[in-house]
Amino acid sequence: MKKLISPEELGRDDRFERADMMDRIADPRNATPPEDSKRGRPGRLTPDRADASDSARALMHGIFVGEIQALEGAGRTCYDFEVGKGDDDVPFELKLDMARQCWDEARHCEISVKLSDWMGTGIGEFSENAFLFQAACNPDPVLRLTGVNRALEGLAIDVFNTMREFGDLAGDPVLEFCEDWMLADEVTHVKMGSDWLRKLTVNDKERQKKALEFQKVVDKLFSFGGLRGEEDDNPIQLARRFRELAGFDDEEMEEIAELSREARAEVEERGRLAREANVQSGV
Amino acid sequence: MADSKKPRAAFAPWDRRELPGTFSVEETADRVGQYKWTEMKLFEALGGWVATVPELDIKMRLGTHCYHHAWHAELWHKRLPELREMNPERLTLPANDEFVAFMDAVTEPGEHDQTIEKLVGVYRVLIPHKIAAYTYHLNNTSTITDAPTIRSLKFAIADEVEDFTDGTLMLTSLIETPEEVERANAHQLKLEKLLVASGGICGPGTIGDAYDTSVHVAANGN
Repeated sequence: MKKLISPEELGRDDRFERADMMDRIADPRNATPPEDSKRGRPGRLTPDRADASDSARALMHGIFVGEIQALEGAGRTCYDFEVGKGDDDVPFELKLDMARQCWDEARHCEISVKLSDWMGTGIGEFSENAFLFQAACNPDPVLRLTGVNRALEGLAIDVFNTMREFGDLAGDPVLEFCEDWMLADEVTHVKMGSDWLRKLTVNDKERQKKALEFQKVVDKLFSFGGLRGEEDDNPIQLARRFRELAGFDDEEMEEIAELSREARAEVEERGRLAREANVQSGV
Repeated sequence: MADSKKPRAAFAPWDRRELPGTFSVEETADRVGQYKWTEMKLFEALGGWVATVPELDIKMRLGTHCYHHAWHAELWHKRLPELREMNPERLTLPANDEFVAFMDAVTEPGEHDQTIEKLVGVYRVLIPHKIAAYTYHLNNTSTITDAPTIRSLKFAIADEVEDFTDGTLMLTSLIETPEEVERANAHQLKLEKLLVASGGICGPGTIGDAYDTSVHVAANGN
């Protein structure tokens, strides 16, 4: 079995539809209903939104495929690196943590499949893109761990908290219950990432800096143009309380919020330029 | 209420554990190190396969089993210093080169269309062998002096049996045609030959010698 595979090599059955990010954004089902739009954004996921059911189903499908990729990423970290003290190696205990994460993510996949069914959607109704797994392809174990366990699993904290609140507001105790359990696991995974980053770079501040830079890149990418943030109309809210439990300090959380604002401003600017270009070309 | 000062037997009538055991501290440490090496190779491979297996239920199950074997590796890792091996890495070794060749062949299939081969290696060959080796160890070590190893062996065997059942169910559902039966059997045959050449997870003597007629089991247990 070869080491370091690419996202194209992930095994999927025929139900799964792979799409890149642009195709996903162009999916008309992701369009914002005008009546719900605030500054062109759908706002928080609440049951009173006209598109609440579809949005919740789409988010649940996104969680499901995200969990599969998280499972695959943790599994590959068990396999891709040797135990040792070199920069390309990892400690034995880190592999054990990744195996534990594998089990957790496998349960999350199982939970997500059942919740998807409960919410009226099924595997393949929405597309999958593999950019989450992309972060798990980094050949540097410290960068991979920081990108996956701090950035992506951090996003999972925000998403599960959002979904848990939606379950509460919608009067869906099954959804709320399951999301709360998954949230507990994600806090554990992020804490693993924070602890290992500290341990592995304790004598190598340059490497730590590089890893945190990589985390910022992933965090910005996974702000989805400002979809995740702290403003009222961010559909996915930054879950500060749970991130704090997972080892994030105030400064780091403020940084993520700022990255999200930057990502949002960039997307809005691109939209403005595109509209201007359309006007000029008479479209 | 009984008189709490009345002397009782140190070993109650229902407790028939014995002092003698087949393995010395050093032999036990060697075996435990070989178990750890094998469990590591197994959980790493299961983790690696999760990404390339297309069948969703199997993908999720392998993720669960990956942790079972990582936990066994951890149990053995923690047992080594208790067996006077303060550097566990030193004894984290395969029994011999032939066993390395066997494990390489078990973990080699990597393609999407090789799920049958992946599962055959683990659930038809390696895990049944581990159940045999762990059971032999359990039944031959001192039930008093080596109780910590026995406890870990029992946990590991419980997982192995459960995983073997899962694996058998998954394989039974995957093998649907005579060609697939042949594929599975051919791969099993290849691996069994490599395993026999190695003598097993601990090399020759992994499960003792059934042809050694000099070993007598007395009727009175002594």
